[in-house]
Amino acid sequence: MRFEDLSIGQTIEGMPFQPTRESIRAFCDASLDYNPLHLDDEYMKGDFGKTNFGGVIMHGMNNFGVISKMLTDWLYPLGGVQRRLETRWKRPVRPGDVITPQAVIREIKVTAQSRWISVDVEVTNQHGQVVASGQAMAEFPHHIVA
Amino acid sequence: MQPTTFETDFWKDANLRKIWDQIVPGEPRKTIPYTLTLQAIHKYCRVVGDMHPLYFDEHYASGTPYAGLIAPPAIHTLLMFACTPANDWMRSPGTVNAGQSWSYNKPARPGDVIRLQARALDKFIRNDRLFVVHDNVFFNQRDEVICSGRGWTIRPQ
Repeated sequence: MRFEDLSIGQTIEGMPFQPTRESIRAFCDASLDYNPLHLDDEYMKGDFGKTNFGGVIMHGMNNFGVISKMLTDWLYPLGGVQRRLETRWKRPVRPGDVITPQAVIREIKVTAQSRWISVDVEVTNQHGQVVASGQAMAEFPHHIVA
Repeated sequence: MQPTTFETDFWKDANLRKIWDQIVPGEPRKTIPYTLTLQAIHKYCRVVGDMHPLYFDEHYASGTPYAGLIAPPAIHTLLMFACTPANDWMRSPGTVNAGQSWSYNKPARPGDVIRLQARALDKFIRNDRLFVVHDNVFFNQRDEVICSGRGWTIRPQ
């Protein structure tokens, strides 16, 4: 497939991801984000401000990484480069959940020097609930300059 | 100079960090440089299940336009805390990440010395929650922009 073959409405499917308590701990080590939101069940039983999640939750940036992997896995073979990703987290993701990202091409644009797409991104859990949504942009340069 | 250890107890130094009232939009955040290692890249890749050969296979990567191993775009997840001192409000326990937006220029590579330019950008109240927006740009040792982005955090206080 090439840039010229892309079409609005085309979907990009990502791999499911299932966090566990161990993977959340591993993400703390890999990201250096040791916020007790992700480590301390006792702390998470309480309210802090207006927020109560009831137990440890997955890092939002773990979700971000799952989305980014979906995009780059699809883009690299096409000669595409991820240029932007914006996400908002709608629901917490807990150990044992299964989340799956998906994207849909919404815009295709040829500019003076390059070629671009914009996609809508959504991540759902095993109940079909949206846990994250956002937008991404990718470039299909005539020559990749890394 | 890169610290040899990273403080993993976010409660330590909690009293030194600014609360919402004290955070000034526009004020720079102090940051520390960080040398990105291949080991750190791979540790991140494994936890998100991102095993692309561009990140792992030197022979494969050298035959691509990238001409060598690179880090995945979302490596800024690690860079953020690696470049943030222990007394920074980004490490306040209970900080909730409400969303992030990132733009990507050059891939980070193993061995890059990363510099973060960061600041508080905005703060506001919405639905009785205290928000602070942080703004960040990561540079490599050639002063090339690797990526830039901002995050919306809900402050614990």
